Amino acid sequence: MHRKILAVGIAAAALFLTSCSSSTGEAAPEPAPAASEAAPEPAPAASEPAPAASEEPVSAATMDDSDCAAPANICVGLVTDTGKVDDKSFNQAAWEGTKLAAEELGAFSKYIETTDPKDYANNIAQFAGKSYDVIVTVGFLMGEATIAAAAEYPSVKFIGVDQFQGEPIENLAGLVFDESKAGYAVGYLAGLMTKTNKIGSALGTDTVPPVKLFGEGYKAGALAANPDVKVTLVYHEPNNAFGDPEWGANEARKQLDQGADIIFAAGGATGNGGLIEVAKDPGAGTTVFCIGVDIDQFYTVPQAAKCLLTSAEKKLVSGTQTLVVAAAGGSMTPGNNFGPTGIAPYHDTEGAVPEDVKTKVQEVLAGLEDGTIDTGCPACLDN
Amino acid sequence: MSVTDPSQTDLGHTDPDPMRAGRWPRVQAVAIPVVSVLLAFALGGILIWLQGVNPFYAYWVLFENALGSSEGLLRVMQKSTPLILTGLAVTIGLRTGLFNIGAQGQLLVGAIGAAWAGYNFQLPALIHIPFAIAFGMLCGAAWASIAGVLRAYRSVSEVITTIMLNAVAIALVDYLASRPLKEPDQPITRTPPVADSAALPDFGTVPAGFLIALAVAIFFSWFLTRTNQGFRFNTVGMNPNAANYAGIGVKRTIFLAMAVSGALAGLGGAVETLGITGRFEPTFNAGLGFDGITIALLARANPLATIPAALLVGILRSGAATLQFETGIEPEVVDVILALTLLFVAAPIVSRLLLRKKTQKRTSVDSGGGGV
Repeated sequence: MHRKILAVGIAAAALFLTSCSSSTGEAAPEPAPAASEAAPEPAPAASEPAPAASEEPVSAATMDDSDCAAPANICVGLVTDTGKVDDKSFNQAAWEGTKLAAEELGAFSKYIETTDPKDYANNIAQFAGKSYDVIVTVGFLMGEATIAAAAEYPSVKFIGVDQFQGEPIENLAGLVFDESKAGYAVGYLAGLMTKTNKIGSALGTDTVPPVKLFGEGYKAGALAANPDVKVTLVYHEPNNAFGDPEWGANEARKQLDQGADIIFAAGGATGNGGLIEVAKDPGAGTTVFCIGVDIDQFYTVPQAAKCLLTSAEKKLVSGTQTLVVAAAGGSMTPGNNFGPTGIAPYHDTEGAVPEDVKTKVQEVLAGLEDGTIDTGCPACLDN
Repeated sequence: MSVTDPSQTDLGHTDPDPMRAGRWPRVQAVAIPVVSVLLAFALGGILIWLQGVNPFYAYWVLFENALGSSEGLLRVMQKSTPLILTGLAVTIGLRTGLFNIGAQGQLLVGAIGAAWAGYNFQLPALIHIPFAIAFGMLCGAAWASIAGVLRAYRSVSEVITTIMLNAVAIALVDYLASRPLKEPDQPITRTPPVADSAALPDFGTVPAGFLIALAVAIFFSWFLTRTNQGFRFNTVGMNPNAANYAGIGVKRTIFLAMAVSGALAGLGGAVETLGITGRFEPTFNAGLGFDGITIALLARANPLATIPAALLVGILRSGAATLQFETGIEPEVVDVILALTLLFVAAPIVSRLLLRKKTQKRTSVDSGGGGV
């Protein structure tokens, strides 16, 4: 009898534990994609924090949120999408940016990790109830909850990371990106790197504008670098566009077989399937490469590290930092705010990229940033 | 009975059993879960203390947030509602000698069924709500019946089939929510919102779904102890051979119990969809069915005891965010506490500690009907 109950119980406990661990994902205490990004960031020069605050770095140990309502005390809260702040992806990048902003402002910062999407509103309310000045919410899935919270707490400034704003709301700024610039930069790199003059892609649906902007930018950049290159843009059908890794893998495989030697994969799990497929190719990292999207996918899809040239990156860290500082200083612009874009470090494929290519890509990145290079978008959305 | 037969889970026996004289089994049924919970909290407290936080303060924050305000109470009731129902689903299985690990899949199928019935029709609320709930239950029952038929008529272990059907259910609802039932013109995998006429109301600060869950728990407590069918469930659970000898249709009973179990899980999904989420979105229902296993084991397969067990889980889950907000402790600490509780309840550690003397006096405390 006891043995049976034990067996059932252990089975159940094991099940319970696995079901929990799978939802939290693999979280390792490694440095962020931020490490690569924080360095070139301009130092917070202009507005020196007050002498009292600058004596030592502001942290949870030296400040608390017991009096956020006082005008002198700035409190910044962040609510993650379901996931941890060390997810090496959007949550982590947004939190890194928030921390940098808090240091710059001499502010107190704290986060809540959402474990259940039904808790978005309640988790936001935790911060609002303590009179936090700025609340950052991460990910487009939190868009609706953030809009509702902005209406409920008009005195709080909200920043929606990766949340496109339709109607601008006075106390809500959405951090969005011009994906065509990041796409252009990686396309330019691919155009210089290809030996077969054929490059491909596995993209989420072109009915979602950011995906199409990545794709069209990629094509424009590649053609600018190499007029002879043949660019294949393949989009998933709208349904399940971001959850179909098999499709991504099949498309990548097909295009490699047709002679493409670089695949740009953009579209959540769909794109990741493409990256992993390219990494399986015998020439991965030497003759065949893949390019990731959104954040530095060297960290989020380590299986693809071998072929990963770079990622078309939304610079979430500095984008979040800038918006938090603006929101705390009262200079926040409601509606959509475009954050910086760029490319992730080369990592394992560093040695495969010639120095002159790196230099040219740097020039293009600078040109994209100062506006001297036109990606042809958003007009490209009509293509 | 043979140790290797997975259907012979004897948790039902530890229930207060009217057939057996004496108060000791009754005391034991309460003492083991309570001591297990306390031990788990003690170990969890050490974990919290190791992170530099006063565990008493942490627990105070956890419970104060959940029970100290009407919003907190509402949230606890909302969180507990599907858990009572999935706990009952697993309980009905255990009482019939079935270990239904598939409550999660049945709940998902029930949830999307209720969502479809909720958005696809325009009916008066008095008809629409019962219809959507009934349809969700039907979907859950149908899903569980696959495992039920295989168990009853082909002797395929329901532990294996239900756990595998979970994976199938996840894929199925993902497909449905991303293709035929998807809300058009937006990128998220989800169904359209249910009609207002299908939405479960709140009575004051008490959600209608919570009242439904309480009523269902009371009903099944009565059903298992006071009806012929309930007696058949229990008898098959205790000893299918004896049940067969007594003229009970064992196969039919097993099939029926599995369907009822699935209907309860489906009801959990339906109530969650119609009362809380307002639509089906795959990520909304994560873990509810697995928590049902914890709750049924913690409740020692007693339908009424699923209510406090689910409330405990509801309190821990709804207080977790505040715990992180106030102390920086990661919300997963409540999962650790729940897992420890489950281990203590399921493993005989606590009963050995508690019952050493008693078991020496009474040769068998809880092996009665089964006969090891």
